[in-house]
Order: sequence, then structure tokens, then C-alpha cells
Amino acid sequence: MKDLRVERDVQTETNKIEARGVQVFYGTNHAIKDVDVDILDKTVTAFIGPSGCGKSTFLRCLNRMNDTVASARVEGKILLENEDIYDARVDPVQLRAKVGMVFQKPNPFPKSIYDNVAYGPRIHGLTRNKSELDEIVEKSLRRAALWNEVKDRLHAGGTGLSGGQQQRLCIARAIATSPEVLLMDEPCSALDPIATAQVEELIDELRTDYSVVIVTHSMQQAARVSQRTAFFHLGNLVEYGETGQIFTNPKDPRTESYISGRIG
Amino acid sequence: MSDASINPSDLPQKSESLLVPSKLMRRRNAAETRYKAYGIAAIVISLATLGIMLITIFSDGISAFSQATLRFPVTMDAATLDPKGNRDIAEMTKVTTVGYKKVLEKSLIAELVLRQVAVDGVSEKDIGAFISGDAPARLRDMVLADPSLIGQTIDFSAFATGRIDGYFKGRVTMETAKLDSNISPEQLQLADKMQEAGILDVRFNTKFFTNPDASDTRPESAGLGVAIIGTLYMMALVVVLSLPLGVAAAIYLEEFAPQNRFTDLIEVNISNLAAVPSIVFGILGLAIFINFGGLPQSSSMVGALVLTLMALPTIIIATRASLRAVPPSIRTAALGIGASKVQMVFHHVLPLAMPGILTGTILSLASSLGETGPLLLIGMQAFVVNYPSGPLAGGVMEPATALPVQVYAWAARSDPAFIERASGAIIVLLAFLLVMNIVAIILRRRFERRW
Repeated sequence: MKDLRVERDVQTETNKIEARGVQVFYGTNHAIKDVDVDILDKTVTAFIGPSGCGKSTFLRCLNRMNDTVASARVEGKILLENEDIYDARVDPVQLRAKVGMVFQKPNPFPKSIYDNVAYGPRIHGLTRNKSELDEIVEKSLRRAALWNEVKDRLHAGGTGLSGGQQQRLCIARAIATSPEVLLMDEPCSALDPIATAQVEELIDELRTDYSVVIVTHSMQQAARVSQRTAFFHLGNLVEYGETGQIFTNPKDPRTESYISGRIG
Repeated sequence: MSDASINPSDLPQKSESLLVPSKLMRRRNAAETRYKAYGIAAIVISLATLGIMLITIFSDGISAFSQATLRFPVTMDAATLDPKGNRDIAEMTKVTTVGYKKVLEKSLIAELVLRQVAVDGVSEKDIGAFISGDAPARLRDMVLADPSLIGQTIDFSAFATGRIDGYFKGRVTMETAKLDSNISPEQLQLADKMQEAGILDVRFNTKFFTNPDASDTRPESAGLGVAIIGTLYMMALVVVLSLPLGVAAAIYLEEFAPQNRFTDLIEVNISNLAAVPSIVFGILGLAIFINFGGLPQSSSMVGALVLTLMALPTIIIATRASLRAVPPSIRTAALGIGASKVQMVFHHVLPLAMPGILTGTILSLASSLGETGPLLLIGMQAFVVNYPSGPLAGGVMEPATALPVQVYAWAARSDPAFIERASGAIIVLLAFLLVMNIVAIILRRRFERRW
């Protein structure tokens, strides 16, 4: 399936994120059960699994978006470069500048394309003047493969773009703050096949700079874009390994049932 | 498959042909037609009621905006107005309005003679009764301000009394005049002749908007000046007091407050406060702001404080509703990019909620604009003749009335001329409401997300 794509040889073996014994509770519901996982730098890691298996919940633990849910409780340790992100001293707001996120539905702000991308750098004080900001906006939009389509209408509304363009705008917005990790929660589920292909191409490209974690419902997509795959089932991390190995030679019978279409 | 247990023959027969509606389909269509008819009937009834209300108000009130006015040259008789002849203000203030009334009366009779209007047995006193009671007072003020007027002849216009005015508006007729000790049919005939001669005409009355209230005997000079100033002061104060408070409270409750028993209790109580009868707020204002706080009664400040208390729950509820209506994806987008909660609220959520907040606020302002009950309790129905001073000169602490209270006060008086003025005041009040609603629409359009 990767026939059209340039093979990128940027694999590293350094751990970017190490999760140890992560438990998540929504009220009394035990959503994530004792998950240990190491996410590599400059790698696309895919989380797959049936609906409600906890893959999105776990993804949202990685930038503490679960903090915004009043009933959620997270236990265990998640280390981002050996610093526990759930340490009491960590401000989630600062964490989210390092761990960017792209959501399932494209959600640009009802502002101009320029303001959408410039918002992150502005609030995090990443630029000293307008020309630096212009530069970041252009770089991010180029990185998100959107620059050529919008360069003439940077001050037009972001919500006037097509679905695929909006999602790439959201990616540009997320990378404008130069995060170290990019989390993507089913970024293509609201897009048509052509837009999906563009976004997938982009994800593969982003791997050169970022550690990308993507949650997806589509096993084909996981196989296409990721180097590592984690299979979640009923809140457990069932299997985690090389994408090729997971899809061709799964060790766990549950993984095999899922990828062969018997459960899920 | 449990549906295997249902025997198809138990079900009502389906119509064989698509061209013939089944019995059930006919019943469903009939129900639909019926509900449409209910809806249309409800709308027609409410529109008819509104129409009747507006027609009554306008047919009664539109005449309040015009006024029969006498115009004639007045000769300032020095012998009457300045008996000592030395133009000493202290001496001149001793001449009361009675003296000025004589001057006006004489000048009017002289004008009638000059224009050869036959008086047909109407006595001089009855001719003098044409001139409104406020005219001598106004003339006296003019003279005291500028004593050089004495001895001159000036053009002067005076309101005709309420009965004469009513005659030109159809409120007083020859028949009613026969039974009325205040006016006689002869006087009305003379009024007709004076109109022909050009001494008397009915014209648009700007004084209705600027004059203060007047006593029972001279409805013609009663105006809305003090009430309009009081209403404007109160509305401005209510906006200043209630908008920041209400929006801040709503933002805190909606975005920052933890969900617990205490905040639930606050929420329930805000909803309850919105339903508390307005008269209760009046008593509260009387007890707290006037008796305990020592603020002056009848003042716009106390009125505004009471109306603020009334408007706050509505503003909080409307603001919370429009904050809640902002799509959650905007919040997650902002938080996901590393915005703090305050940044999320002020950069993204609040601008999107602004049209709803403004609409809710203006609607609650509009309802407090028409609020009468609480203002009666804090003394704003008082008879106030002095204009409050400017807002910076402490005018909000001085006695004033408000439009709805003025309507109430006039409607309670016996002279039918005041009923006309009450309806006129209602029209002014409705115009205020209309302006506020237009402002609400414009603001909503302006703040609506543009893409």
C-alpha cells in the first residue's frame, strides 16, 4: 500500500513518551486499564481498536485534555522526555504547547486563516514581531501543504475552506507552536478519500520532525501511515509493535480477530 | 428474530393501491391539518389582540402630540408689572402670576377687538379662561430674566386650556360643554372664530417631550421631560451596573465554577429570582437602598439599582445559554493549542456568544424599561416639576420619574385630557422599546460570526 510514497528513513529508537501503569476512570467506569507504552521519536504510532476501546481516551491523556472532563481521573505515570506530565508542578497549558493535537472534526476558529495559524504563536509568545509571525504562519501552512491553496486569501475566513483544507489548516495551527509530539484523533474520519490521501501524505512527511500519534478506525490507514501500531481492546493495550508485524503476524488472538474482521 | 412471532394477518390491512390513502394515513393527515389550524388560529388571535391594542393606544394617544395654541402680541403694561417703575427685581418679584394673567387677558381681548372677532356675550373672565395656567408663570419668568421687556409688545404663544384643546380634538363637544361648569358652548363658538381669525391653531407640541408634569388643573402643559430624563438615567445606569456583573457571573458559573451542591443551589436561585414578582424587588429596594443605605428616594439611582437586581437573573440566564451554545469543538481547539481557560473564554467563546448575550441583555433592559411596580414603591411616582441636573452634576441622585410611572400617574387622574396624555406617553414608551429592539438586531447582526 505504500507504493506511491517516498520511503523515509528517519526511524529513531529514542523514546519520546513513556507511559507506565496508566489507569483512567470516568466516574466509576474504568476506561483504561494499566497501559504501558513507549512512543518513539520521529515515528508515526497508530492506535487502533474497536469503538469504545479507550484509544482516544489514552491519546487525550498524552496532552492532559482529559483534565477538562470533570469526572475523569488519571493514575500512573506518563513521561515526556523523562518528565512526568502528571506531576503537580506541570501546567497543562504549557504541556499542550509541546504536545499539539488535531481533532476528529476539523475545528478551525471562526477567524481568518492567518489568525488561526498565528493564534498559538501569539499566546505562547513565540515571536517578537509581525514579520516573524508572518514567517511562522507561512512555514506552518507550507508544512501542512496548504500554502499554495490559501496564500492569496490568508485573511479570508478559515471556516470557508473545504473539509480537507480545514483539517490541514488545523494541522498547520497545531504545528505553528513547534510542538514535539503531534496527537491526531481520527483526523481523516470526516474527510473524503482525496483529502484523506493528502492528510496521510502530510502525516508521513511530518514524521521527519515530530513524533506523531494517530488514532484511527481504519486499519488500512494505520497500515499506510504508521511504523508502530498499538491495538486496544476494552481498555487494555493488547498488543504493541512494528506495524508490519501487527498486521501480518499478530501474536495475540484478539488482535488477529480484529484485523481479520471477526470482532470490532 | 422475534418479529417472526407477529402474524401479518393481525396487523391492520394496508391499502392495496398507492393511489388510495389508507385509513391510518387519512387519520395522520387529518391530525396534521388540525394542528396547523391550531397554530394559525393562535397566531391570528395574538395578532388581532396586538392590533386592537395598538389601534386603541394610537387613536387615544396620537392627539397628545398636538396642542391648541394661542398666538397674540402681548403688551407688557408697566403699571401692572412694575408698579414702582424702577425695574428693581426685588420689587418686581412681588407681582404674582395674577398680575401677569391680567396682562395676558387684556392683550388677548385687545387682539380680538383688533381682528374684529365678535365675542357674542362671552365675558372677559371667560376669555381669560382660554389661556393656560402656565402661561402667566412663563411670562413672569421671561420678564424677571429680562426686565427690559416691560413696556414692549412681544409676540407670545400660550397653550389654550385643556377643554378648548379637547374641543379641537373631539374630546369636548357642544353637548358636553352644556353640562360642564368649566366651559360653555359660547366659549367653544368663540374658539372656532379665533381659529378662523388665526389667533388659535392646533400644532405639533414639542413641549410634550420637554415639559415636566403639571397639576390637575392644567393638563395642557403636562409633559414627559422629567420622565424621559429619569428613564434615560436609569437605563444608562442599569446597563453600566448589570451588564458587567451579569456577564461576569455567567462566565464564572458556566466556565470556571466547579459543579457541586453549592453552585447547583446558586443556579436554582438565579432561576427563582427571575420569577420573583417585581413589586417584591420594590420593597427590597425601599428597605435596603432607601431605609438602610440612605439613598434619596425617588432618585434614578435607586430606581436603577432595583431594576438592575431585576435584570441580573435574566442577563445571567441568557448569557449562560449563549455560552453553552458555543460549539464544544471551539473550546477543545483552543485548549488543544495550549490556550489557558481565560484565553479560551475571552478569545473564542465570548466573541461567539456575544450576539446572544447582547440580545438577552437588551431584551431584559426592555422589560425593565416598562417596569412600574417597584418604582412606585421607591417613590418615583412623585410629582416632580424640577428637572434633575446633568448626570455628572449628581442628577441621578435627584428626584425624577420614569415613563411607565408617568403613564400610571396620568391614567389615575380625573381629567380626560390626562388619559390622552397617558396614551401619548405609552406611544413614547413603545418608541423607546422599538429603538432598543432595533439596536439589539443591529448589534446581533454586527457580532454574528461573519464566516
